[in-house]
Amino acid sequence: MKDSIKKSLLEEAAKCVRCGACKSACPTFDVLRREPSSPRGRVSLIEARLRGVEGMKDAYVKHIKECTLCGSCLSACPKGVNVPQLVLGARCSQSEDELIPSVFPLAAKNLLGAEGLAPALVKTVMKAAGKLQGVFLKGAGSGEGLVTRFSLPFVGDGRLLPELPEVFFLDRPDISAMKDVKKGATSRVGFFVGCGINYILPSIGEATIKALDSSGATVAVPAEQVCCGMPALSSGDVQAAKELALRNIEAFEKLELDYIVTSCATCGHALKSVFKDVLSGEGIEIRQKAEAFASKVRDITELLTKELNYEAKGERKEGTVTYHDPCHLKKYQGITEEPRELLAKSGHVFKGMKNPCKCCGLGGGLIFTNYELSMKIAEKKAMSIKASGADIVATACPGCIIQLKDACHRYGVDAKVVHVVELL
Amino acid sequence: MLTSAAIKELKKAVGNENVSFSKEDAICYSYDALASPYLPDCVVFPVSAIDVSSVLKAANRFGFPVVPRGGGSGFSGGSLPVEGGVVLSTERMGRIVEIDKKNFTAEVEPGVITADLQDEAERQGLFYPPDPTSVKFSTIGGNIAECAGGPRAVKYGVTKDYVLGLEVVLPTGAIILTGGKKTMKGVVGYDLTKLMVGSEGTLGIVTKAYLKLLPLPEARRTMLVEFLDIESAARTAEAIIASGIIPSMLEFIDGVSLKSVAEYIGTQSSAGAALLVETDGRKECVEKDSIEIKKISAENKAYSFKDASTKNEVRDLWSLRRAISPSLNKLKPTKLNEDVVVPRSELVSLVRGLEKISEKRNVLIASFGHAGDGNIHVNVMVDKKNAGEFERGMEAVKDVFALALSLGGAISGEHGIGITKAPYIAMELSADAIEAMTAIKKALDPNGILNPGKIFPGRAGLKFHS
Repeated sequence: MKDSIKKSLLEEAAKCVRCGACKSACPTFDVLRREPSSPRGRVSLIEARLRGVEGMKDAYVKHIKECTLCGSCLSACPKGVNVPQLVLGARCSQSEDELIPSVFPLAAKNLLGAEGLAPALVKTVMKAAGKLQGVFLKGAGSGEGLVTRFSLPFVGDGRLLPELPEVFFLDRPDISAMKDVKKGATSRVGFFVGCGINYILPSIGEATIKALDSSGATVAVPAEQVCCGMPALSSGDVQAAKELALRNIEAFEKLELDYIVTSCATCGHALKSVFKDVLSGEGIEIRQKAEAFASKVRDITELLTKELNYEAKGERKEGTVTYHDPCHLKKYQGITEEPRELLAKSGHVFKGMKNPCKCCGLGGGLIFTNYELSMKIAEKKAMSIKASGADIVATACPGCIIQLKDACHRYGVDAKVVHVVELL
Repeated sequence: MLTSAAIKELKKAVGNENVSFSKEDAICYSYDALASPYLPDCVVFPVSAIDVSSVLKAANRFGFPVVPRGGGSGFSGGSLPVEGGVVLSTERMGRIVEIDKKNFTAEVEPGVITADLQDEAERQGLFYPPDPTSVKFSTIGGNIAECAGGPRAVKYGVTKDYVLGLEVVLPTGAIILTGGKKTMKGVVGYDLTKLMVGSEGTLGIVTKAYLKLLPLPEARRTMLVEFLDIESAARTAEAIIASGIIPSMLEFIDGVSLKSVAEYIGTQSSAGAALLVETDGRKECVEKDSIEIKKISAENKAYSFKDASTKNEVRDLWSLRRAISPSLNKLKPTKLNEDVVVPRSELVSLVRGLEKISEKRNVLIASFGHAGDGNIHVNVMVDKKNAGEFERGMEAVKDVFALALSLGGAISGEHGIGITKAPYIAMELSADAIEAMTAIKKALDPNGILNPGKIFPGRAGLKFHS
């Protein structure tokens, strides 16, 4: 690890006074109830390792992997210690030694890290998965998603997987035709689709474009866009995250857009902040480009309410709705009221849930590295949804949607899971 | 260091998987909120009184220290393994066994997080009042060991007032029951319950607590009153209580803290002191009390009065109180956090005395805390990078203790002695009193295996202060 990075991580860790306040906010500590699985524990372990304390092995890697990077600890900490940044730093430093294969399953890491670098490979894998899903998986009965027909390695019994589309969103002729915006159009919006929508939940993409259309925006979907890089970064691959950021900036900057919109909370955080962070060591020209790009990025709920003055038709609709705050939207972008404002306009009756901003358990790669723990965290969320009594749970992140669908199915909660824009 | 025979015995006591020798666990169980780490030789995770008893019997047989640990949120070092040995974590003992709605009692294991008990009680219309600031991450076991207090003490008392009885494992391994499980009275023999509460994990390990609950108050109301000077604030606090109202909280904030917090949240404050007052009870009473408090405040030269009734307004007022700590952190990196207590009539003398100490020792002192019960959190703010500042801060701390004692108070109201205040207990306790205490310790823990190096002056305390 570079000395300058090590120094900045050590300075961040040194801010921690070990008060323990973060423990009350952490989703992994909440279900595991052991000190090393708390933010304070992680900071202590990372600090010890940076200081060269010897003798830490598997348990260290396990605890660094457990963090969902949800950022809940940030608001609980009186000293403002950036624990997610420390965990990311620790994961990145792991890539340089022999521990990386155990930090993330090697295959998943290569696949995710290299996504934008070898899009053809990812497409091939996802297509093969689409073709084979009928062999290994069957309908869940609820009409949504697929469950395993028999026990599969890496998948887990009874796990609800989303049904993959036959054609990916970005490959559809109607979408690939939208590669530019007409000259002189007002509210020129570029749509950053993201992997979750492209490969798994294209209906969110459709709903996004529909809502933008009805608000008078002109929409382009640049074909050269690639993964936002968050999966790569979460697994410790900064280099891949950097290259993906550059390719995305290039794909959008030539269109002279007013806004760049995403319907994925995680992509939104990457586009607004992470691109700038990973490119902060580059030359002034690249940094300025990253800054200009970031200043145009809006979450779909933010764009519709704040910039485009979205108006609803106002008709009453069947079914009550509750809302789950994605960590990457609330804790990293500070967006909480906008999606609720849209839901109020959707025509559904709103019912709040307890702890709406508690992490769903998917993030930080936990879904890949520790499915069992990820589901234990999700169980609490499923119970909050159940207790709310709502028929529909809306959120604003494809990742959360995949997780909440699986959790509701697993824990017998009868609620439909959708993106906010799908209710407009 | 533990011998292989001792390790074998520990593994037999709690099971292989519940004894950890990993470096990772040693690091994570080496600290509490004092941030002064001492590495243990191993960490054990018992699940029952029998497990705990077996660990303590092994400790006596092989002569290693055992240090009980709950949430690790103490400020005085009570859960630190200052002489190495075994940290005994209560994290696996986290069940709320019963909430009895007929008798208004609860039976809980020591690892229960206090806020979780409060939530569960509230769901059933009941109330567990003790509310240390760490309520969301400290445990009942730790609260009992330290006799934790909190803002509500002015009306509701502290942890010891809610402990009806305990299942305790004595240092020798004997499992005893003290007090009653569901009875509000009981005078049979010595009151070992009260002896255990606040004994800082040196006389026994609580494996089950039988607690008293109250009915949940129907309504609550929070008010923030600001004053130009502390005399007006103190007079208001006295007048409120003299009028017959016992607020559920009566918090004092000094001018240094107010200025610091105002800068932190981007506003300005010219107030010299403020009171954060909360009343609870029947709706009509709360309404009447708040009108009376407003009147008393006006009579005592309050220049601002904010009354919160909605949840959001209450949250906003409390966010100010909660922002004090982080805002002080911006001023200086190290906070020597003391919690002296004085009779509440001496509040003004205490704050005026603190100003003098601050001047004399040339260190910044911010104070805030529980005006209602005279327990004030005195924060001596220092930067170790400035030559001599830490040392001057430690001198100031000693002055603060002397001041509190001269006003008829005590050197610690709720944080405990642990290792931080061990060198100072003789300032408050007579030699005979200390001898009586050490005699009790020796009688219960003849081999000195349970949480050694705490409360009484010894090596750890000296090391911490050097």
